[in-house]
Amino acid sequence: MSSRLLRFLPWLATALLGAWALATVALSRGEQISAAWLLTAATCTYLIAYRFYSRIIASRIFALDDTRATPAERLEDGRDFVPTNKWIVFGHHFAAIAGPGPLVGPTLAAQFGFLPGALWIVVGVVLGGAVQDFVILCASVRRDGKSLGQMAKEEIGPVAGATALVSVLGIMIILISVLALVVVNALRDSPWGTVTIALTIPIAMFMGVYLRWLRPGKVLEATAIGLVLLALSLYAGKWVSESATLAPLFTLSGTTLALSIMVYGFAASVLPVWLLLAPRDYLSAFVKIGVVLALAIGIIIVLPPLEMPAVTRFVDGTGPVFAGKLFPFVFVTIACGAISGFHALISSGTTPKMLRREGDARLVGYGAMLTESLVATMALIAACVLTPGVYFAINAPVSALGTTATSAALAIAEWGFVVTPLELETLARQVGEQSLLSRTGGAPSLAVGMAHLFSRALGGESAMALWYHFAIMFEALFILTTLDAGTRVGRFMLQDLLGHIYKPLGRVGWYPAVIFTSALFVACWGYFLYQGVTDPLGGINSLWPLFGISNQLLATVALCVGTTVIIKMGKARYAWITLLPLTWLVIVTSSAGLLKIFSADPRLGFLSHARLIESQIASGTLPLHITSTDAATRIIFNDRLDAIVAAFFLASVVVILVASFTEWVQVLTGRRAMKTSEARYVKTTLVGESA
Amino acid sequence: MSGFLDLCHRIAAVTRRIIGVPDYATYVAHMTRHHPDCTPLDPRTFERERLTDRYNRPGSRCC
Repeated sequence: MSSRLLRFLPWLATALLGAWALATVALSRGEQISAAWLLTAATCTYLIAYRFYSRIIASRIFALDDTRATPAERLEDGRDFVPTNKWIVFGHHFAAIAGPGPLVGPTLAAQFGFLPGALWIVVGVVLGGAVQDFVILCASVRRDGKSLGQMAKEEIGPVAGATALVSVLGIMIILISVLALVVVNALRDSPWGTVTIALTIPIAMFMGVYLRWLRPGKVLEATAIGLVLLALSLYAGKWVSESATLAPLFTLSGTTLALSIMVYGFAASVLPVWLLLAPRDYLSAFVKIGVVLALAIGIIIVLPPLEMPAVTRFVDGTGPVFAGKLFPFVFVTIACGAISGFHALISSGTTPKMLRREGDARLVGYGAMLTESLVATMALIAACVLTPGVYFAINAPVSALGTTATSAALAIAEWGFVVTPLELETLARQVGEQSLLSRTGGAPSLAVGMAHLFSRALGGESAMALWYHFAIMFEALFILTTLDAGTRVGRFMLQDLLGHIYKPLGRVGWYPAVIFTSALFVACWGYFLYQGVTDPLGGINSLWPLFGISNQLLATVALCVGTTVIIKMGKARYAWITLLPLTWLVIVTSSAGLLKIFSADPRLGFLSHARLIESQIASGTLPLHITSTDAATRIIFNDRLDAIVAAFFLASVVVILVASFTEWVQVLTGRRAMKTSEARYVKTTLVGESA
Repeated sequence: MSGFLDLCHRIAAVTRRIIGVPDYATYVAHMTRHHPDCTPLDPRTFERERLTDRYNRPGSRCC
């Protein structure tokens, strides 16, 4: 008894510390608090959740059994299926799930203050995101590593399977366009950033050539060279931005950048993977892990105070960064970091084929997602170390701020925050930019926050500009790696789909088909990107919520599959563990989707915005930022298109829910046999641990 | 010294696996153990096959 008590004492201490930190964070009113409290509250919650909550899934539901051979062992082929040490799988899985999502979402959601975002990141991951990743991983491991789409089809039915497939394609289009928009907004009129990012493409190609002809197989060597070249490109960008003749050549407008990114995406989809995609991926994985560690160390060394209030007045829906009230919009703005449906594709992709033992799924599935959530918490902290005045100057669109530092300072003063025009100009100069006003999309304000942290830890104020562009480079590198790989995968999915209509289009080796489907897929996301770049409201306002809704839709699919699997295992009494986040997501996505379509507020609702512009055309009173009737007509068309996209996502949610619910009722009432589709038990022959 | 080199090699091996470099040694070991009658692919063909496969399907990348 006493030894048991002793074992629980550290957990009790963790729980008490976490509760104390959480109370400090939640109850702070008026006075500034240190980021340390937020970090402590999050970390303690993660530890307790990992120890106690994930155990329910591991032991009670799936009864993970280390004597049971995993697909990696049974189906070992030396390629996909390879039994791998659990820490390597953890690293691999984390590098695959961590992308720009958990960095950008929390930054945008900071307009509500730090508290709403922080609470959703921590609570959402423990009860939602990590549960989803872990349950899907377990389900896939027990089914020979099947993918989410296959499981949706086999467990719920063909309708659910087809809906899942089409939604994934729709989600990829919106995801890529919104991420590309973030990059465009970060590089617009910034020769330094543009040159640095542009140079990453020849660097990756050089690595590709190096690995193919000069020193085949020496990946780490090539990556080390690539990293050195990346650092040099940072200085090259600085040099160009200071040159009077070169700087104007690389000072590009949003539309030029958008077109360049489309060309890049097309090239990445058509070129062989060894030349561009694979080397970029190696670089990006390194930079990713490095920056996450650096951010953690920076925050721990500096322990900055949170300048943003706990809750701002914008919870009422009048916020300039994106429209909409706290509920439901904080829950769709922060998708990755709390719960991200996209992870279910990875939990049922490469990862389940690598697990050496079933028990490892807990660390990999639940643990890696907690780590991603910690990254989201750190991104939120980095955004909240900026004073609210600076934060809103960077993140509010031109239509709210005007185009000069003076007009921006006036607008921000009206919102109740203080910032002087001089402060804004000084900050822009410090980070080596012409202006930081209205750089919407989250990346620039996160970069300023990180530059602030890093320069305080290392290099002082004179290093601000380098750190800022370093942060921009790493965010853009991240995003472009998602964009190029996503475009290629999207092209394959499109070929697969169109192959059913006209056979030759499905042939991956036939160049006309490859070029046609690549161009078609790029055109799809390119259209939304272009729409976002030219949108007077900043683009993020309409596209980011659509991305959040689509990502949560995929999470809905995953949780429906999870619930079905649990019920069919005869564990219906534990189905609440997936039903709880599922219910919440359905409430959130449907209310956010309906508001985006039907809200009477033209800033929020697509249809009412279209009606407003229509009436303005009719009365001849177009607002300042819309220059012609043609532009206005285009905006009306885009509004209606966005409404259709949102309606499509909502309809998909309904289809999946109805299909799943029917299946559950049939199984629970005995009209369909309660039979699990798990692969049968085979005893493991692996012994000991090996690297 | 050899202990240190050994450690470096192990760290390099782990890093390669984490960033997703195709693992030729494991593949050859598997082939010689389970399919001694087949000739394994040469390193370059193996690498090309693995990379092409990885970028052809969703589930290796995320937002």
